Amino acid sequence: MQEPREPKMKAPIAAQQRLPTNGAQSLPGEGPARPVRPKLALWQKVNLRKIGLFVVSLYLFILAITLMKDGARGLAPFVRNLFSVNSPANALGFGWLSAYTIMSGSPVAAASLTFFDAGVMNKLETFAMINGSRLGASFIVLFIGFLYVLRGRNKATSLSMGLLSLTVTAIIHLPAFFLGLWLLHAGTLDAVQLSSGALLTSLTDLAIEPIVNVVTGLLPIWAVFLVGLGVSMVSFNLFDRCLPQATLKDSQVGWMSRLVYRPWVMFIVGCLITMISMSVSVSLSILVPLSARGFVRRENVIPYIMGANITTFIDTLLAAVLLKNTDAFTVVLVVMVTVAVISMIVLALFYNRFQRAVLTFVEWVTTRNRNLAFFMIGIFLVPIFLMLV
Amino acid sequence: MRILLTTHGMPHDEVTLRLGAHVARNAGEPTTVLTVAEDEAHRAHADEILKHACELLADVPSIQTKVRIGHAAREIISESEEGHYGLVIVGERTPPNLLARFLSGSTSVRVVEHAPCPVIVAKGKGGPIGHILLCDSGAEGPLAELVPPSTETRKTGPALLARFTAQLADLLQGEEGITVLHVMSQISAGPGVRGKQLRADFEELIEERTPEGELFKQDLLLLERPGVRVRPKVRHGLVVDEILKEAQAGDYDLVVIGAHRGASWQRILLDDLAHKLLIELDRPVLVVR
Repeated sequence: MQEPREPKMKAPIAAQQRLPTNGAQSLPGEGPARPVRPKLALWQKVNLRKIGLFVVSLYLFILAITLMKDGARGLAPFVRNLFSVNSPANALGFGWLSAYTIMSGSPVAAASLTFFDAGVMNKLETFAMINGSRLGASFIVLFIGFLYVLRGRNKATSLSMGLLSLTVTAIIHLPAFFLGLWLLHAGTLDAVQLSSGALLTSLTDLAIEPIVNVVTGLLPIWAVFLVGLGVSMVSFNLFDRCLPQATLKDSQVGWMSRLVYRPWVMFIVGCLITMISMSVSVSLSILVPLSARGFVRRENVIPYIMGANITTFIDTLLAAVLLKNTDAFTVVLVVMVTVAVISMIVLALFYNRFQRAVLTFVEWVTTRNRNLAFFMIGIFLVPIFLMLV
Repeated sequence: MRILLTTHGMPHDEVTLRLGAHVARNAGEPTTVLTVAEDEAHRAHADEILKHACELLADVPSIQTKVRIGHAAREIISESEEGHYGLVIVGERTPPNLLARFLSGSTSVRVVEHAPCPVIVAKGKGGPIGHILLCDSGAEGPLAELVPPSTETRKTGPALLARFTAQLADLLQGEEGITVLHVMSQISAGPGVRGKQLRADFEELIEERTPEGELFKQDLLLLERPGVRVRPKVRHGLVVDEILKEAQAGDYDLVVIGAHRGASWQRILLDDLAHKLLIELDRPVLVVR
């Protein structure tokens, strides 16, 4: 899903409490009392604008997948010859760099499925490109942090979350990638299919096909794909705006962010929140206003990212259903299952060592400018190298 | 304060008894030395263990001895409940292998989890207590962490240090050095968050009136007594790791920590840091509840 959004900070609770309170009385030590809001009925709390945005974003997502599906064949020469994507390693680098280029992972993952559906890529290459898209997507939080560093903010503060996200994703995805290749080769998960996509796809035929016919009639086939990619990015952007904005004041759960939870608990929370938000960076940004000062416990954040990395592929799974391609569905399922399996092994067997290693590495990167430069160069050189091999 | 001192006749119980002797001198009430025998057939052996313990505790003013029959952890917990003790001192008695540990668990861990009062787990050298590390998270329950003490919404009990001074201050001889440690394991949740407080020392935290600073101020007030030297300290990193590092670096004689939270949902969701510390620390640990 959409990755590059900068987390929107709500005013910390201390600042909120300094706001004028319309003369309301306050008790010593409590801060000014808040103005009393009239209690709303459940139906009054429903935000129709957000529901409308959600419907529009879903419609645009389906339209985008259909356009990319129809346009993917036209891009075959570009992918095979111009970008030389002829192996899983190439596809991994291609997905990785593509996610950097459009600053988002989900449209790249969806595009890889349409390439597969059009016969431009095989199963293993598609699997590799989806993995690459996730690695590229986790760079975006780091990139935003880097912009803050350039504006003079502290390195460790600005980059920690991005570095954690990228490092955890890379460490988990590496073994998951090889496990996934083996699973695809063995066909272990081929039999697992979602059979309830029929209603969705018949609705698609009614509401989408007329528009797709117009676009394909007007534009060359390769341009249809690019229009689809653009529409998918717009749809993800709109979807992010549908999500409820958590604030400490509204949620009343700000105190929960100060506690240290069991890793499994945070893992499940990361899974659940990202199942709704469909974006790791959006899920991470949800953590910001939950704490009065925008802080999060080191102990809590790593398993949260591990959980988020699994369910962030829900939208890619939906794209596979829309394509009515059972093999595409299997590929996405394998990505999710392998990431989940490796994450659970880490959590069950050597989480403490994993946590310390990740945090030590993040600290090493932010300690000196030279280390940061090595790291930044590395995360560009690795995908370029993968594309060239 | 009534103290329950346990012994099992094992070599490491010397540490428990040495530490117990230092603590019990200031107790003001008789100290009970307890040993648990598996069955009646072992009672004579239990009496011998108690006799040896009394020799080692010769300079403790008033001692009572007691033998209970049954499972060690269960009997110590029952005795601590029935005898209304203010403090239990147990030795670290970890089963020799993983299978035994899995089946029966560590006696000291079970006592810490279920005893109704503070528990000292004696390990390491167990000498006189002159240098104490007090690890204060500032909260008993979740609300207590956020809400100022004056408000009615602070429904839970006082913070660790308040409980420590209320329950165990009499044991301080007035010559101790106490380091109050707060570990900030937080990082910024997003790139745009200003994180000055994440790098601050205790003086800056107090100046900025942060929750941690307010906690330090309260702690310094609570520990203000003649002879006791108090030093606040902040460390940044993972909570368990930083406490372990500080305990090693400062060569403390006793580490004071809070017990794992008891409420049902908290017990399930929150990480049991007390248990991790209890396992990994190589010196006496006082678990306050």
